[in-house]
Formats: sequence, structure tokens, C-alpha cells
Amino acid sequence: MTQTPINRREALKKIYRAIVAAGAATFLSYRDLLAAVSQTPDQRPNVIWLHGTSCTGCSCSFLDIDYVPVVDILTKFTNMAFHPDISLATGSQVTNILERLEASSQGYIFVLEGGIPVSMPHACVMGERPITEWVELLASGATACIAAGTCAALGGIPKMHGTLTGSMTLDEFLTHKGIEKPLVSLPGCPMKPEHFVYTLLHQVKTGRLPELDESKRPLHFFSYTNHDRCILYADFQEKRFARRIGEPGCLLKLGCQGPVTKTDCMINGHNSNTNTCIRAGHPCIGCASEQFPRQILLHAYDEKRVIKKDF
Amino acid sequence: MTRIEGHLRFETRVENGMVMDAHCSGEMFRGIEAALIGHDARVAQQVTQRVCGVCPYAHAEAASLALEAAMGIRPNSNGQLLRNLIVGAYQLQDYLLHFYTLCALDFIDVTAVLDYKGSDAGLIGLREWVASELVSKKIFPAAPFLPRYEADYLQDKELNHTAIRHYLDALPMMANLHRMVAIFGAKAPHPVTIEAGGVTTVPTVDTLMHYHSLLAKVEPFIKQSFFNDVVAVAKAFKGYFREGKGYGNLLSYAYFPDQYGANHMTAGGATIGGRYTPLDIQKVTEDHRYSYYANQPDKDLRPMDVRRLEPIDYERYKQEHGKPQGKYSWTRSPRYAGEVMEVGPAARVVNTYKAGTNPQLTELVDRLNRELGISIEDYPSVMGRHLSRYIMSHLTIDRLKRDLALVEPGKLAYEERGVPKNAQGMGLTEATRGGLAHWIETDNEGRIANYELIVPTTWNISPRDADGRPGAVEKMLIGTRLRDPENPMELTRIVRSTDPCMACSVH
Repeated sequence: MTQTPINRREALKKIYRAIVAAGAATFLSYRDLLAAVSQTPDQRPNVIWLHGTSCTGCSCSFLDIDYVPVVDILTKFTNMAFHPDISLATGSQVTNILERLEASSQGYIFVLEGGIPVSMPHACVMGERPITEWVELLASGATACIAAGTCAALGGIPKMHGTLTGSMTLDEFLTHKGIEKPLVSLPGCPMKPEHFVYTLLHQVKTGRLPELDESKRPLHFFSYTNHDRCILYADFQEKRFARRIGEPGCLLKLGCQGPVTKTDCMINGHNSNTNTCIRAGHPCIGCASEQFPRQILLHAYDEKRVIKKDF
Repeated sequence: MTRIEGHLRFETRVENGMVMDAHCSGEMFRGIEAALIGHDARVAQQVTQRVCGVCPYAHAEAASLALEAAMGIRPNSNGQLLRNLIVGAYQLQDYLLHFYTLCALDFIDVTAVLDYKGSDAGLIGLREWVASELVSKKIFPAAPFLPRYEADYLQDKELNHTAIRHYLDALPMMANLHRMVAIFGAKAPHPVTIEAGGVTTVPTVDTLMHYHSLLAKVEPFIKQSFFNDVVAVAKAFKGYFREGKGYGNLLSYAYFPDQYGANHMTAGGATIGGRYTPLDIQKVTEDHRYSYYANQPDKDLRPMDVRRLEPIDYERYKQEHGKPQGKYSWTRSPRYAGEVMEVGPAARVVNTYKAGTNPQLTELVDRLNRELGISIEDYPSVMGRHLSRYIMSHLTIDRLKRDLALVEPGKLAYEERGVPKNAQGMGLTEATRGGLAHWIETDNEGRIANYELIVPTTWNISPRDADGRPGAVEKMLIGTRLRDPENPMELTRIVRSTDPCMACSVH
């Protein structure tokens, strides 16, 4: 498997097939996508990617995109002006890029991975400035914003019960600062690279984001819960519940979060559909849900504590 | 600083081209240890692996080992083997990510692609792209590959072209390795199936074959392309076997056991002043005098002595920054027998070599030492660390092949146990970037009463301890000569050689 760059037409066919497989065919046609990249270097949209209180998992996930070489995304579809893990620029070169691009009239898509620690600005600092200031500056100048992953989209780990940093999602932060910008939220811990590339291309091609639900998630990926489309749904209907790991049956009574987790794992599994948590014998942990992480996840069949309210 | 995991700042004082003093600051805090209190004990595995999206596998394993210790169990042979297959594949991905995506372009000259005259479609495409970018009206053409520090990049054009080709090839190889993780771990990053008691996946002939076919693609890339690139860079930058040496004290934990939990691939222990001794975990202490925490006392704390770390507020933070001897990092300062220790691949290689527990490692190290004209004492260095990552990858591939053949299809790899009440446990493992330890204590309902992590980068990037001794990487930087203080590539090469993971180090 070498990363042989394929021609543009082939790349787009592959992406299109992926999008069809993900159930989003009505949004972009192959012809639309083809037009998305017929641009000169000066027309390719800039992308700025920042880490808030993140773990870099979504960036690693992005590098796993299978349908099109990462290098093609960097060189044919977008101008990745800054990415913390890919850019060769370092130190003051970085702050220089961010400030000059923000001040220019070129526009850019702003991607944020991780939370925004509003009550503890010193909990995330870049180039001597709190990340809160960077996000405010860069979101204000952006054409569109992408909240990449559960932390930026719904809260996730940096906002879990017991944390002190006052972490906000990107949506909450923009409201808090009175910044009105088109925003898409892509929950998932980590974010799925297919969700990101689809969203990016939609913005590149049409100049707007895909159709969203009330939580600003693309409808075509986040309309159904994992439970709705679960491979074990028949077991659930027939009330065949697994009593322990390894037993056949629905995993609901071992702590499955499928019923409260809207995402497309059952159609588009992890790592290019290699697997899903449920296929791997583990209850869904709800990593794309508003409640993630809950007080109790995998548990025993006759668990009494689970009926208590979360905190 | 970029191309590391997370938010790291380092500050140096340079006089006459030499670094006189250095301060490394971890710039991001989430407070996950304290937040875990009150959660069910099993939640620690899912939450702590999200401390880090680069090495989540190690946290999943350490958390499970800690809880298993509290339960008094260990996984059955299938459980251990599947864990090895998940963690081993993930480590290989992590090594490639570090060498190619994060470090290679500090040595390889990416602009050399402009002189490429061969027929490789990938390199031709890249050449045309760079050329068109450079004549465009962009503020920053050829981003993200430019701008960069201008420095003494590799001169040999052909080597540059080959390495750039491998930089491109490494990306799908890394995705392949993540797929191998997902076969038994459900997904990567953040494999969910490693739980106290084993692994929830039941292996089948199909999944084992799938893993096998992907491993067969990865092996030649690692043993040929990765090997050749590391050796080429090591030969071209031989001086870097003497750069970034630091204290030279090395700490590691026993790692990668066989199916019975014994005969680890690498040895635990400490090399201090050149002398190796087996591990005594009781010797670990932690200070936070120079870290942004208010708890007192702030020195010689044993793991779990602090129940809830209290971060200082923003006002106090600003005051500390104004002080000459103020606090300057979210990272704490762990010490072993009072010494500042380096952890990571070089520590694993040197300690195992000195312990003499792995003949295959000894033989490979001796062969490489002859080829490169170096000795085992040269491993704690910029180039020694890169070389150690290759050695680890090579040994890991062979272990994965052996373990894959031992898995019994259809046999449950998981043993169910209730969460232990009022129990304590410790889990030790290695991430690619060094030794990782988790400690757990549960209450009378099996909820977390206290949790602590001491993470590889906490060792390496620690600030000064209460005695004022610089941390491991700070020490590596001090005394370094810079060719050009405006383009201090020597320093970024040193820092990146330790593969910092800042989100991990503070958590």
C-alpha cells in the first residue's frame, strides 16, 4: 500500500463512493466535487487548525483518511496554512502565520480540536497568549468554523464531571463572545476522518456547510442513534440480552450507550469500517454523545449502581 | 513548538552561540486525575486513554493493569496475546508517526523535491505543487511545508528523494497499523476493548487472517524503508550521537510480556551513572514546587500522596510569571531515587542491553554499533533515540508474528470480575515515548477514590525540582552550541528526539 498519488478524477470518484456509502449522496454530486478542486493555488481555501485542551486524537484520526491521500488534501483541495502536527513552521513563525492570515482578506476555514478553558485561561496557552484569545481572534476572521471531535463539539473529556477549567464547546464559546459564524460540530472521540473530509469538501465546493441538526451536526451522519441501526437490534427486540461479555445478545444491560448516541458507526465503522465497538464485543461507550463520559460505562449485568442518576 | 503532541514552550538563554539555561513549560491542563474521583473504577480505562490521542493504548493498558492488580487477577493467555497485538501495532504506528510525520523533515530537505528528475508520480506531483505554490500570491506558499527553520539539512539529493517518498508512504502505512489495532481494539485512536480482565473481542480465524495480511504489508516497510532512512540520517548526522545527552540516567518498566505475563521484550530498571539496577518502584517521588499547583507540601511526595491537585488561579499564574524563581509549568517533577531520569526508547534499549534479558536485542544492538561505529553509551542522544525506535520496531514486529500464531480462535479473551471495593492497584507499562504508571484506589462502592498517573513526558519535560535541578530535556538543551540562533534547529531536534507528549504529561 504505497501512497501513489492518483489523478484528480480517480480521487474524486473514491471520495464520492465513500460519501454514497456514508449515506450522504444527495448533498454533493460527483460533478459538484470535480468542480471543487479545479482551482489554482490562489483559489484553494486556507485552513487553520488549532488545538485547545485536546489530546491530538482527532488529528491522528484525520491522518487515517483512506479515501484520498492526505497529501492530496494538503496540496489539491486546501491550503493547510497551519496544522500543529504537520506544519514545519515552529515558534514565532506560527504566530506570524496566524496573525497575518487573520489580518489578510484571504479568508480561511477554522478548525478547533479540544475544549476552550474559559474559567482558567492559563490552562491552555500558545505563544504566550491564552487559547481563549486565539480562538476569539481566529473564529472572528473565519469564513466557517469546524468543531472537530467531541471535546470541541459537545464537551467530552475536558468538560467531564469534576473538571475545573470551565471548558466550553466551540458553539458555546462563539455564543458567549457574540461571534456569529457558520459552524459545524463533528462529535466522535476521535472524530471520524470521513465526517471531516466530507464537511471540508462541502464548504470548499459550495461555500456553505452541509445541512445541520439543532446541535450543528451534519444530518447525514448524525440523524440516527447507534441503537437505531445496531447489528444486534433484532436481539434487543426479542429481548435477548447478553449477561456477560462474550455471550450472544444485545449489550444494553452491560452498559451500552447506543440508544443515546447519535452517529453513524453502524454504517461507517471505525478505521475505514474495519470495526465498531459493538462488533468488538464491547458496549458502545457513547463517545459521540452529549453525556460522554458517564459516571459508569461497562458494568455487570445485575449492576445496581447504574440506576442511580449520573452525579 | 509544533510537531509534537500538545502545547510545549521552551525558553533558552543563549550566550556566544551556546545555550546557558533552558526552561520547558507544559502549557495545557485538564485536571483529569481529580475529575475521575467518584466515577466507576472501569471508567478510568476509557477516560485516561483520552489523556493522549497519540499513545492511548498505553493508558488503556496501564489502567487495566492497575485495576487488575486491585482485583488480584491477570488476563488469560488469549487476553494477553490480543492486548499485545493491539498495543504492538499501535506502537509501530506511533514510531512511524514520530519519525516521518514529526521528525524527518528536521533532517530531510523537503525542497530537494524541486530537483527531482525521476519518474515517481508522487514526487513529480509534489515537485509541481511546490513549484506552483512558490509562484502564487499566497502569504505563505507551500504551507504546511514552508516556512521552516533554515538549517544544515541532508545534502545527498537521492537520499532526500527516497526519504520524501517514504514520508508519503508512511501515511497509509500508519492507517494500516491503526486498522490492525481496530481489528481487536474496535478503533484507533482510543481502542475500547482493553478492559481489566482481558480484551472483550473474541478472535476468529477471519480476524486473525486480516491482521496477518496487514502485518505482512507493514513488515517490509519497517525493516527496509524505515531501517534505511534511520541509518542514512544517522550516518549523515553522526554528531547527533553526542547532542542532547542530558544526565544519561535511564528508567524503564518491564514491557511486552509473553502470553503468560512473563519474559518481557524489554527490561525494567534504572541506569544511573552507567550502572544498571532492577526496578524498585518505591523509589519514585514527585515535586511540584515549580509547577502551577497550590498543594503543600510540594516536594518528595509519593504517588497517591496528593488526593486532589489544586491548580493555581489566573491571577496567581500571572504573578508567578513575573517572579524570577516562579512556577513555570503544568508538568510536575518525578524523580527516581532522587535522580532526574530520562525515559523512552533509549532507556528501554540500554536497560535491556545491560540487563542481558533479550539476546535478540543484544545481537541487533551489537550489529548496529559495529555498522555505525558507536557504543551503548551513545544511545541517550538525539540520534541514539531515533535508532532505538527502529530497534524497538524491529523487535515488536517479530513478537507480533509470534503472538499472532499463538492466539486460539473462538476462545474468550476476557474474564469477568466485579469492580473491587476499597482496593488499590498499580499498573506499569511503556508507551513508545517511555515508562507509564497508573495508580488506582477505590471506595466502598467500587468508585474511584484517588487516581494518579506518572507519564513518560512528565519525566522528560519536567521543570526544576524542589532542589532546583533542571528536568531531563532542560539538561539536554543546556550546553548546546547553535550554528544560527535565529534558526535554532539543534534545539528542536533535541526536544523532538524525546517525542514529547504534552497532553499526556500534564493530563
